[in-house]
Amino acid sequence: MTLTFIDWLIMLVYFVFVLGIGFTLKRYMRTSNDFFLAGRSIPAWICGLAFISANLGAQEVIGMGASGAKYGIATSHFYWIGAVPAMVFVGIFMMPFYYGSKARSVPEYLRLRFDEKTRAVNAFSFAIMTVFSSGISMYAMALLIQTLGLFHGIIPDQYIFHVSVLLSAVIVLAYIFLGGLTSAIYNEVLQFFLIVAGFAPLVWVGLKNVGGWHGIQQRLPGPMTHSWQGMTHANTNPLGVEWFGLVMGLGFVLSFGYWCTDFLVVQRAMAANSEESARRVPLIAAIPKMFFPFLVILPGLIAVSIPVAQHAAQNHLVGASTAGTSLGIIPQKVNPVSGAPMLDDKGQPVYNYDLAIPALLLHYFPSGILGLGLTALLASFMSGMAGNVTAFNTVWTYDIYQSYINKRATDAHYLMMGRIATVGGILLSIAAAYAATSFNNIMDALQLVFSFVNAPLFATFLLGMFWKRTTGHGAFSGLILGTSAALLHHGLTLPQDAAPGLHGAWIKLVHTYPSDMAQNFWTAIVAFSVNLLVTVAISLMTKPRPEPELVGLVYSLTPKPVEEHLAWWQKPASLAIAVLVLLVILNLVFA
Amino acid sequence: MGLDIRFPLGLMFLVTGGLMTVYGFFTRGSAIYQKSLGDNLNIEWGIVMFLFGALMWYLGKRQSWKNDPVNPRPWERPQYPH
Repeated sequence: MTLTFIDWLIMLVYFVFVLGIGFTLKRYMRTSNDFFLAGRSIPAWICGLAFISANLGAQEVIGMGASGAKYGIATSHFYWIGAVPAMVFVGIFMMPFYYGSKARSVPEYLRLRFDEKTRAVNAFSFAIMTVFSSGISMYAMALLIQTLGLFHGIIPDQYIFHVSVLLSAVIVLAYIFLGGLTSAIYNEVLQFFLIVAGFAPLVWVGLKNVGGWHGIQQRLPGPMTHSWQGMTHANTNPLGVEWFGLVMGLGFVLSFGYWCTDFLVVQRAMAANSEESARRVPLIAAIPKMFFPFLVILPGLIAVSIPVAQHAAQNHLVGASTAGTSLGIIPQKVNPVSGAPMLDDKGQPVYNYDLAIPALLLHYFPSGILGLGLTALLASFMSGMAGNVTAFNTVWTYDIYQSYINKRATDAHYLMMGRIATVGGILLSIAAAYAATSFNNIMDALQLVFSFVNAPLFATFLLGMFWKRTTGHGAFSGLILGTSAALLHHGLTLPQDAAPGLHGAWIKLVHTYPSDMAQNFWTAIVAFSVNLLVTVAISLMTKPRPEPELVGLVYSLTPKPVEEHLAWWQKPASLAIAVLVLLVILNLVFA
Repeated sequence: MGLDIRFPLGLMFLVTGGLMTVYGFFTRGSAIYQKSLGDNLNIEWGIVMFLFGALMWYLGKRQSWKNDPVNPRPWERPQYPH
C-alpha cells in the first residue's frame, strides 16, 4: 500500500492533537483525584462518548466488521441485545450506588458493600485482565499495520511490528502520564468523532456501490440480512445459538456483567460532574451505540457483497492471496511460510475476515480521505488501550497499593504512584503483546480464564445492590464457586466440529453445543446461576451487616435520587424510555 | 477541567477538513476518484468536517477557560484579607 504525503499529514495532525491535549491538561493534575477521577468535573455528554469509545477498541472495530462479514446483520445482537439494555440498567439503577457511595473504583464499592476479600478478588483479577487486554490491542494494531504495509518502504519490513508497538505505547503513555483520566476521556471523544468521520463516508460509498441495503439483501442469503430470522433453533441461523441462549447468555449475563460492573467503562461515568450526570452517561452513550452497527458491522456486509469481478486481481494487502478465491473483497488466508492459500479440514478456503474493514478502506478511499480512514482505525486501537491503562492505574493505586502496600501515604505520593503505574501498565502491555506473538494459545487460554472470572460477576452486584441481606461471605463464595462452575462447564462441553482441549471437554465430553458462541453463552448462564444460588444460600447462613452501615450502598436503604428540579425530558427515566423505544424499532426494522 | 474539549476537537476537524478540501480541490477530476465511484470524497467530506469543526470550535471557545482551576481563586489571592 502506498500512502501519499496528505495521508501522513492527516495522521500527523491527529497525533499532534492527542499529545497536545495531554500537555495542556498536565497543569490541572494537582491531586490524585484529578488524575484518577478527572476531578469528578466532566459534563455528561463527554463522559458518555468516552464511555462507548473506551470500549471501541481493536477487537470491537475489526472483530465486529469481521463478524458482520461472516454472520451478517445478526452481529447487531451484540449491540441491540448485548449492550443497550445493560447500559440503560446501569444508568437508571446502579449509578446512584457507584457515584453516590463515593467509591473511587468498582472494587472499592465491593469493599464498602461487602468486605476486603471480595474486593481483593475483583481488584486483582481486573488489574491482570486490563493489562492483557491492552497488550492484545497493541498486538492487533501492530499486526494490522504490518499486514497493511503501512510503513513498507520507510522502515525495513522486519522492524515494522516492533516500531508499531513502540509508537503506540509511547503515545498512549505520554498522554495518560500527563493528563490522567481527563486526558484519556478527552482523547476518547476525539477518537469517537474520528471513527464516525472516517467510517461514515466508507459506508455511504459502499452502500451506493452495492445498491443500498436492498442491494445487499438481494446479494446475500436471507439469514445474513435478518437479525431474528431462524432464531428459534440453533441450526437455522448463522450464529448457531437459539434465542434463549442469546437473550439470557449474551443479553443478560454477559452484557450486564460487562457494562454494569467493568470498571473500564464505569470509570468514565464516575468522572461525571454530578450524580444526575453520572446517571445520564450510559444513557447518552446508548444512543450512538445503537447506531454503531451501521458503522462497524455494515462494512463487513458490504465487503462480502461487492462483486468479485469488480475487485480486480490487484490486491494491496501483504499476506493476502490473489491466487485463491475470495469472498467479495475478503481475501483468503495464506500460509505465511509457503504463501499458498489456506484450506480447512474439509478443503474449503479459509477467509481472513479480520481484513473486512481495512480491505474496504483500501478499496474505496482515494488518498486524502484514506489518511482519515486509517487515522480512525488507529484511533480506535489507541482508545481501547488507553481505556485499559487508566482503569489499571486506578485499581492498582487505590485498590492494591493503597490497600495492601502503603496505607498512609500523602496524596502527592499516590499521584506519583498513579504515574508510575501508568508506565508499569504500558510496560506490562508491551510484554503481553510480545507474549501474544510467540504463544498464541496461551493468550487464547488466558482470555478464556478471564471469561470464567467475569461470567458470574453480575450476580454478585445484583444481589449486593438490591438485597440487603447479602453478606460478604456469601458474595465471596458465590464468586469463587461461580467461576469454578464456568470452568467445570467448559471442561465438560464442546462446540460441534471442535477437538477436545482449549475449546472444551478437557475433563470429559458430556454435551455438544452447535457453536462456540452457544457454548460461551451457556457457560455464562451456568456461572451466573451458580453464583446467584450460592450467594443467596451462604448469605442466609451468615450474619448480615447492620442496616445503617448499608445506607447509600443498597437500593432499599438509599433515598431515591431527587429529580423535582428537572424538566420531564431531563430525567434519566425519560431518556431511558426513548432509548428503549428506538431499540425496539431498530430490532423490528432489521428483524 | 479548564480546557473545553470542543475547542481542540473543533480545531482538529478544522485543520483535517481544511487539508482534505484543499487537497480535493487540487486533485479534482483526477483518476484517484475512480475508487470512490467518481465522487470527490476529499472535497465533499472535507467541507462537512470543516463546518463541524467550525461549530465545535465556536462553542468551545465561548465556554473555554471560564472556570480555570489553575488561576488562584479569590481566597487564594495574596490581597485577600485574612
